[in-house]
Amino acid sequence: MENLIKNNQYNIGHICTRLQCEIGNADKISMRWITPDMQHVDYSFNDLEDQSNKCANVLQSLSLSKGDIMFTLLPKIPEQFFVLLGALKLQLIVSPLFANFGEEAILDRMGDACAKVLVTKKSFLRKIEKIKNHLFHLKYVIVVDSESDLPSDVLSYPALIKNAKSVFETPLTGKDTPSLLHYTSGSTGKPKGVLHVHGGIITINQTTKEILGLKENDKYWCTADQGWVTGTSYGMIGPWSLGITQIHFSGQYSPGIWFTILEKEKINVWYTAPTALRMLMKEDSALFKKFNLKELRHICSVGEPLNPEVINWSRKILAKETYDTWFMTETGAIMIANRLGIDVKPGSMGKPIEGMEVAILTDKGELAQSNQRGILCLKAGWESMFVTYLNNEEAYKQKFKDGYYYSGDVAFMDKEGYYWFAGRKDDVINTAGHLVGPFEVESALLEIEEVEEVAVIGASDEILYEKIVAFIKLKSGNIYNKELELKIQVHIANKVSTIAVPQDIVVVEGIPKTRSGKIMRRVLKAQYLGQDAGDLSTMEEF
Amino acid sequence: MDVRDKMNGIFREVFNDDTIQIKPETTANDIEGWDSFSHVTLITAIEIRFNIKFSIKEFMSFKSVGDLIRCIERKVVV
Repeated sequence: MENLIKNNQYNIGHICTRLQCEIGNADKISMRWITPDMQHVDYSFNDLEDQSNKCANVLQSLSLSKGDIMFTLLPKIPEQFFVLLGALKLQLIVSPLFANFGEEAILDRMGDACAKVLVTKKSFLRKIEKIKNHLFHLKYVIVVDSESDLPSDVLSYPALIKNAKSVFETPLTGKDTPSLLHYTSGSTGKPKGVLHVHGGIITINQTTKEILGLKENDKYWCTADQGWVTGTSYGMIGPWSLGITQIHFSGQYSPGIWFTILEKEKINVWYTAPTALRMLMKEDSALFKKFNLKELRHICSVGEPLNPEVINWSRKILAKETYDTWFMTETGAIMIANRLGIDVKPGSMGKPIEGMEVAILTDKGELAQSNQRGILCLKAGWESMFVTYLNNEEAYKQKFKDGYYYSGDVAFMDKEGYYWFAGRKDDVINTAGHLVGPFEVESALLEIEEVEEVAVIGASDEILYEKIVAFIKLKSGNIYNKELELKIQVHIANKVSTIAVPQDIVVVEGIPKTRSGKIMRRVLKAQYLGQDAGDLSTMEEF
Repeated sequence: MDVRDKMNGIFREVFNDDTIQIKPETTANDIEGWDSFSHVTLITAIEIRFNIKFSIKEFMSFKSVGDLIRCIERKVVV
């Protein structure tokens, strides 16, 4: 903390760049960016400082100022980091989007936030062109991969920064100043904008040290995309606030390539997702014997519960411990984890981080007994706690009761103080570590002309943790066939996201609803899984 | 229309991008949005349009457009 916050300057952009230069890390590599064809480019902390300063100056020259909201729609390329850090220095609120979002997902988020500026690349402009007329507050679209401006008022980032100064004096930024905005899906309604503040860097920094176990001269690789909270908290802020060298790889999942990176780059700590680890488990174990991972101390995992099988596999095949970590977009940083220094209980979430008060509360708000299930709650007030849902303060308030944040996760604590995840209280689907709201998928499905009614649920899956299952009722006269299945898949991928495409589509005669018209997803889920559907007294007949 | 031309149309449809021009050496890293999720949709589209079926082993083995074309050509000929 004493090396992190100087003169009450909490600015994330400043701490990750200028401060690192001031404490002697100017020439140290901050980021080795590895291209899909395995070429690499190194950037020092001084480079990060210069590039983010140029960006801050450019954004300022466009009359953007504190509190304005900027989105990025970029893959994992250096400009993503320069732009995010530069905008944070200027005290803009920044919201990086997952690059595979479809146009409706982008519109929902940018529209809700009244975004003023978008930084993207040329190939994504086709998505933006379709929705631009609905983005009433959008003043600037900037592309990072064109040397000159493009028609339709699209500005060139290289042209803008060409003559920009590499010196920028970051304004003194209080801990309560808004910083990052990540959208998260709920079981009803549109995604909600989870707003964080610069002061969150304190918890992120603490957990990067204490939970991920990063040390000064480590090389660290976080595979998360910056479109998700892990990608910003632990793929940007945490390691750079500690002056640690990060590897960023912009290629796709590939076991051979990933392990080549782990070996060749001498990665010390690797932070990845259970889905990726479960996919690796499917590979022939002979593949892993080819690689020397002696520098890798441990693996950390986030996004979904980590199965004991994965932990046992990594112990047996890789001779490494894998630590599960738990947090959510709203918490901003890891809250509960297995880690070095405590005995790992495979399958558990681990124990709370230092200073965090966690409670399992029953429906009546009472403290649950050991091993009794309830809602996982956190005593409000930690530094990285979100400060609101943008434009939806009412939904934010509903998350808190008697000083506790109600996570919506159902869990229990055993007698030794370990927490165990048991499911979600709501209908949000966790597929491959990404939360998908049924409503988003259902809305897009209803746009397909052959579809009359829909309902979407999550069902357990060996690889993805949960897969998306769509129940559809077709309009009279339509027949379900492979062509329609493909049409549905393509539509969802392009309108919502590739991660939101249903893995299974079930054609039904009708969707079970309550008499007030609410979809009874639990009935569909029970039917799909061959379980008892429980009380059906409120169901309307169809 | 040869296999590659037909494949190009499928890529444009699946990835909603009329500018895509595939080559045998094209990989997932060259096409925006070609991730492990959309790969499933792509394979479904190819199976429907060519009226063929891929085995799980084949599905996992495709690393480039060239791999896909060679496999399709073998199946179409058979």
